[in-house]
Amino acid sequence: MKKKLKFLALLLLLSLVLETGVASAGTVPYDTYNYDYWENIVLTPAAYIPAGSISGSTVGTTGFMNPQDISVGDDGRIYVADSGNNRIVVIAADHKSLDRVIEGVMIDGKLSKFNGPYGIYVTKENLIYIADTNNRRIVVLDDEDNLVDIIENPQSEVLAKDYAFMPLKVCVDYAGRVYSIIKGETLGIMQFEGHEFTGYFGTIEVGISLAEKFWRKIATKEEREKQIQYVPTEFTGLDIDEDGFIFATNRDTQGKQAVRRLNPKGDDVIRKGENQNVGGDIITSGTSDYSGASYIVDVAVRDKGIYSLLDNKRGRIFTYDSEGNLLYIFGGLGTQTGTFVTPVSIEADNRFIYVLDSFRKEILLFKVTEYGALINEAVGLRYDGDEKEAVDIWWKVLALDENNELANRGIGKAYLSAGDNEMAMKYLELGNSRQYYSIAFKRYRNELLKASLGYILTVLFVIIVGLVAFKQYKKRSVKKKG
Amino acid sequence: MSKYFSKEKWKMLLYLLSHPADGFYEIRHNDKGSVPIAILMILLYSVVITFNMMSSGFVVNNTEPNSVDILSVTFGWIVGYILFSVGNWSITCLMSGEGRLKDIMITIGYSTLPMSFFTVIATVFSWGITEEEAAFYNMIIGIGTVWTVFLALLGIMTVHNFTLLKTIATVVCTIFAMAIIIFIYLMFTDLIGQVITFFKSVYTELIFR
Repeated sequence: MKKKLKFLALLLLLSLVLETGVASAGTVPYDTYNYDYWENIVLTPAAYIPAGSISGSTVGTTGFMNPQDISVGDDGRIYVADSGNNRIVVIAADHKSLDRVIEGVMIDGKLSKFNGPYGIYVTKENLIYIADTNNRRIVVLDDEDNLVDIIENPQSEVLAKDYAFMPLKVCVDYAGRVYSIIKGETLGIMQFEGHEFTGYFGTIEVGISLAEKFWRKIATKEEREKQIQYVPTEFTGLDIDEDGFIFATNRDTQGKQAVRRLNPKGDDVIRKGENQNVGGDIITSGTSDYSGASYIVDVAVRDKGIYSLLDNKRGRIFTYDSEGNLLYIFGGLGTQTGTFVTPVSIEADNRFIYVLDSFRKEILLFKVTEYGALINEAVGLRYDGDEKEAVDIWWKVLALDENNELANRGIGKAYLSAGDNEMAMKYLELGNSRQYYSIAFKRYRNELLKASLGYILTVLFVIIVGLVAFKQYKKRSVKKKG
Repeated sequence: MSKYFSKEKWKMLLYLLSHPADGFYEIRHNDKGSVPIAILMILLYSVVITFNMMSSGFVVNNTEPNSVDILSVTFGWIVGYILFSVGNWSITCLMSGEGRLKDIMITIGYSTLPMSFFTVIATVFSWGITEEEAAFYNMIIGIGTVWTVFLALLGIMTVHNFTLLKTIATVVCTIFAMAIIIFIYLMFTDLIGQVITFFKSVYTELIFR
């Protein structure tokens, strides 16, 4: 008995030691999670882990002050709109040294300094678009800081004479059309061709429910004035994908749709996943400051239709694929390395995810883990139409995260197209895809019917013959008796 | 016990399905019904519903497996059943209904039999269907539900000797009555709780003095 007890105690101790071993292996200061089919939170392995930070002092200049936007060029250089210091800081591709600082722009031989530059965008040709907010202009510079173009004081019939043009965020498509979010502008994104204002773009329509309409109808004028104004929400961040579609984030208090993918006509063509939600967190109930819908402030379009949203409220980064499925959620608020206080801008390239924190005055870097890389790769392959190749990678994802619904679904679909309906059913059920399960089941049922049709017909035939024979026998026996 | 579960009483249950008007009349006036059997029917329906939630085919089953709990389902249906019966009884008393509480309970309990039966049929059927055939599954459940509602309405009408319009009016009133009962229950428990905390605090005041 005593021996047994000792052994048990040892086991307990051992399990404790092992437990802490596992816990200390995860040094990531936040949870990585996802929502399952029933919208429960499911913790997953970390998809991205902190990989250091860049601040003004680490690259050899004075610290940032209230920086508001970053843009990463194709060559890896990071452009920071250091609004509080009225300058643009360009960080070299090695992230350790300074490339240059742009204080202003030479116009007619005179230096015109920036005043609160809020947004920045760098094109593939290394043209720098700067939303010079307080100077009410968008400045376009080339790689040698020479002025290329300047957009200011837009003229149009739809604009007032004394229109205060205060661009916050800026973005450029392949044809050189400029899109800009304007401070206090609820009509949509301003679109410029060259430096001519061509119109508003992607206006968000206000949804007023029937009940709200009813209450407004019966309210008096004074009451109505005190109610909230039903104005469209403003956009918060911009990015553009390879096809020239604009990704624009907005504040959605319902938490349903915080990002739009706008086609050249300005219509929203974003695809939503199974839960019809591209608004960040799904579980947002509660009464504290920490509850409520995610406040999405920026979007980073990545390879293969994947895009990441940055939540300012809870400091989380939501990554979706082109079909609107949530891939992974990570990040959190705090003061540890790898957490945010006031995240304002997100960018991504094939090395890192970059998040600018205006309060911490630094850019936080995140690098992909094996888990994250596998998901990115599999989703990318599916985006390209190579579902078969993606299967191998989905298997690897399953090895790391057994309950990954996307992986199960991917494997199930592959089995389905390979004709193994029984396995397809198994994995599609695990992946909670009723639509494809139904297809697999239909084929499986047909197979089963075909295989056993002979038996069924034989049994039916025997029954019918037996019945007829029985009736005949009965008739005869009745006759005999009669 | 045999009084409640005699063969005659069980036969009445099946007789109701084909001859509802006669059956309910017999129940009201010749004591052919049994409250324990009615409660058993409600329990049966709870079990059937749990069975349906747990093991209907994947294509039509949208219930999270973790959330299925037979105890809470049964408790819910029993409470709802008693609430409805008491609510209906209190309303029909005022509207000169002839039925006793016993009759109402028997009526409602017996009426759930078609719903239980068709839910089982639908659940078994759902093991062999695809998404396109889900409409048939819903139809089967629908038939059971319509039959049950029909039986319950006819039953309430017969045991109280009401017209159809009056029956529907009482059912609507019953729902309000249920809400009032719940409200009173909540208020009562809350007030009792406050009284208890009051005496508790008086007690603590005294012993710490």
